[in-house]
Amino acid sequence: MLERLGRQFGYDERSAALLVFPVFAVLMVVAVYPIVYSFYTSLFDIVLTRPWRRPFVGFGNYARIFADPQFWTAVQRTTVYTVVTVSITTVMALFVALLLNEAFPGRRLLSALILLPWATPSIVNGLMWKWIYDPGYGLLNGILVQLGWIEKYIVWLGDPDKTLFMIANAAIWKQMPLAAILLLVSMKSISNDLYRAATVDGANVFQRFLHVTLPALKPGLMLVLVYETMISIRHFDLFLIMTQGGPGDASYTLSWQIYVETFRNLKFGIGAALSYVLALATFILSYLFIRGFGSKA
Amino acid sequence: MRAATDDGRRAMIAKRWGRGLLISAFSALLVIYVAGPVAWLVSSSLQSEADITAVPPNWLPPKVTFGNFEAIFSNTTREVTYETRRQGDPATGRFLPSGAENLLPALWNSFTVGLWVAILNVVVSITAAYAIAVIHFKGRQAALYTILATRVIPDIALIVPLFLVMRNLDLVNTRFALVVTYLAVTVPFTIFILISYFEQIPRDLYRAARADGCSHVQALRHVYLPLSLPALVASVMFAFLTSWNEFIFALILTQNIASQTLPIVISGFVMDFTTSFSFVNAAGVIAIVPPVVLAMMFERYIVSGLTAGAVKG
Amino acid sequence: MARIRLDGVTKHYGSVTALQQLNLDIRDREFMVFLGPSGCGKTTTLNIIAGLEEISEGNIWFDDRRVTFTPPHKREIAMVFQSYALYPQKSVFDNIAFGLRLRGEDSASVDAKVKSAAERLEISHLLDRKPHQLSGGQRQRVALGRALVRQPSVFLMDEPLSNLDAALRVSMRSLIKKLHLAMGTTFVYVTHDQAEALTLADRITVMRDGLIQQLDTPDAIYNRPANRFVASFLGNPQMNFIEGKIAETSAGPRFVRGDFQLAVDPEVAAGQGGRDVVLGLRAEDAILAGDGGLAGAVTLVSPLGSEQHVDMDIAGVELTVRASKDQSLAIGDRLSLAVEPARLHLFDATSEQRLAASS
Repeated sequence: MLERLGRQFGYDERSAALLVFPVFAVLMVVAVYPIVYSFYTSLFDIVLTRPWRRPFVGFGNYARIFADPQFWTAVQRTTVYTVVTVSITTVMALFVALLLNEAFPGRRLLSALILLPWATPSIVNGLMWKWIYDPGYGLLNGILVQLGWIEKYIVWLGDPDKTLFMIANAAIWKQMPLAAILLLVSMKSISNDLYRAATVDGANVFQRFLHVTLPALKPGLMLVLVYETMISIRHFDLFLIMTQGGPGDASYTLSWQIYVETFRNLKFGIGAALSYVLALATFILSYLFIRGFGSKA
Repeated sequence: MRAATDDGRRAMIAKRWGRGLLISAFSALLVIYVAGPVAWLVSSSLQSEADITAVPPNWLPPKVTFGNFEAIFSNTTREVTYETRRQGDPATGRFLPSGAENLLPALWNSFTVGLWVAILNVVVSITAAYAIAVIHFKGRQAALYTILATRVIPDIALIVPLFLVMRNLDLVNTRFALVVTYLAVTVPFTIFILISYFEQIPRDLYRAARADGCSHVQALRHVYLPLSLPALVASVMFAFLTSWNEFIFALILTQNIASQTLPIVISGFVMDFTTSFSFVNAAGVIAIVPPVVLAMMFERYIVSGLTAGAVKG
Repeated sequence: MARIRLDGVTKHYGSVTALQQLNLDIRDREFMVFLGPSGCGKTTTLNIIAGLEEISEGNIWFDDRRVTFTPPHKREIAMVFQSYALYPQKSVFDNIAFGLRLRGEDSASVDAKVKSAAERLEISHLLDRKPHQLSGGQRQRVALGRALVRQPSVFLMDEPLSNLDAALRVSMRSLIKKLHLAMGTTFVYVTHDQAEALTLADRITVMRDGLIQQLDTPDAIYNRPANRFVASFLGNPQMNFIEGKIAETSAGPRFVRGDFQLAVDPEVAAGQGGRDVVLGLRAEDAILAGDGGLAGAVTLVSPLGSEQHVDMDIAGVELTVRASKDQSLAIGDRLSLAVEPARLHLFDATSEQRLAASS
């Protein structure tokens, strides 16, 4: 019996346990405990304005959420935002990756340059674009008027039809470089022989792209899509800096709702429950993507 | 009629020129797209308020002034009180943002926290990554999935419980709280990068080291560590950038001026309507410089460090 | 210097069983070769002896010490790999010195040992170079030096010559053999190359699908293979296999397949009349006589420089036999074949086991 235990906890197992311990120690306190506690909170009706009464409601909070029209608005806003951000980011990243895959003088410099948006803190990103969109003095208005495309200044962030897209634009700017690099790396692993065979078969540039490049990019594309979706769905910083959910509820996404319910309405139970709904949505989407593309990331 | 010997050559030369043109055009567009907004940020920070509020906007500062930067750097000595508040830019009625003197300390906070996170990150992640990638122990998959799973829940959900934990440990308003939090946030990703990289190192080297008499720790030190430089650099960069960037946790965990990080202070400026636009832009420039410089310097390592896993999909 | 004993060793990889109840006894100072096709379990067994993999059941003993749970760095082994596995960022000197330094030996002693090993392997002039500056053969010598210097109780080698070109392989083979004689240490050597096995081994363990097929001296394995698999694995060209029956005749037992008939050893085949068997005949055991014996036509001649391999059709059976390089043969030539009965191998058609003399 001791013998069997000896086999289970041999030298390898002991070493591994020791080496993995620091990570788990940190994560237990700072990640696992809050996650569990947060879920626990979501099962109670906790409103900080009446802290003395906190009845257990099981999944009652979740039920209230799904019945709340505001929630569905948030879902719609989040969906639009995420779809726009992810799709445009991916398409742009693909083009940039194609460009960087070619050999030309100055490519090195360009590759380094595109890291600029990635390195920009999201607060500065928000601030920067807010200034560009400024209704009174912003660059966007200035350019468009000088080009003659519009006649008077537009309040970009203040127009409910435009708000989400303006914010998305800022997000795309920041996220596209990393996506491009990930795709570029996938591209580089495509064997040159495949292109040569295709050329000999008579394929032109577009056909080579369609039949050689794209299929080989599937795993890379999947990685990018999953990652971008996960990130975009929970964007918060930009919304805080640029529009605070407004105007009205034009940019009222799920993340914003969580913030509002938790820190302004002080409904901790609802806030926690919303977070879990968001987490679940992210999880399901990622799973669908991975299944859809049929390979492991 | 083209001469028989000429067919191919003309087309080839045309194709070459066409390709060159396309590449140049796209490159130029890319440069404008990527660098344009930042250039505008820098340009705005170098203008006085009067210039900045001109319509149509001035692309380049008509007169380069470092006044905004001066205000930031010299404000540490000057306390902003009701009496002194009117010593700022004339265009805004000379109001100084009431938090101006916080910028430099906040900068320092961000920097220290970032450095600690970057260093600790490597220490903690390397050992775990080695164990998971190299030692084939039972529960290896489970360990990895657990670590990655901690990042599924959105940060916002974790803020309140985290705040309570920190308060119970009396760690609110400390840099330590931020460091530990950011560690938990960045470690899963760095572990992932390192694992991908370690798996590329030939297993025979590991077997040779063990046969030569290395314990696990020695194998890590003599074989895996020296060969993982790009992944290590990528991890350090990522850890530093993430913690420099981070906003939500800092917002909640640091409530007093002394411990706040840069993003918080800057967001304060943006919210404060008495702040001049040029000043905000200057603050933004200061926040953007360190990460951008670091990213550019280590670009090659970042890319090759990140790619080990990505190539395999 | 150690005797290695594997006792009921079983290794599972999830649902796949790589090794089943393996019992193996490697004598002290012996040169043992594990021979077999890929996937037969020979490298797994080597890893287990090294301690690089844990076993699901069973035990391993080095002399009287049970080392089943001892990690590799405590087993006093040294290992040489097919891919050389030299530390890329260290110089040749540092590569060889690494194990010694880990043990905490002082630099004077390390220096002396490394230099003497380098001299023995004729790589003294390469001590300052890095691995990427060396050729394959030189790298393998460095790997050998690294193992040598540790003075281990067991020397483990995992297909060390497979990455080298043919001529180099032959010269390295003799180097390894000389090392074994000089050091007197137990050597365990894994390979899929039967020529290496035959030239180097004191004893060979032939493995297939995790099971030992035969453990014996090279001579026994070559001349008295225990089953059809072992017989087919050794010998170049491969042994000829002919399916047929044993028939009892007045002249003694014979192997029969249609018109193809050969007299077989009575000690082995007596009383086996009617049994389905597979006849094994090595190319070099067939004597090409002018007349007498079986007659057939040449279908292909493959000159190898030092000899010729001749494909023949004899009474509907296809055989490959050896001929000297001086014999001039052409397709269509008629030749006669004769074989000494004692040199024929008989295997049961179903079990593929060798028919042994019943006594």
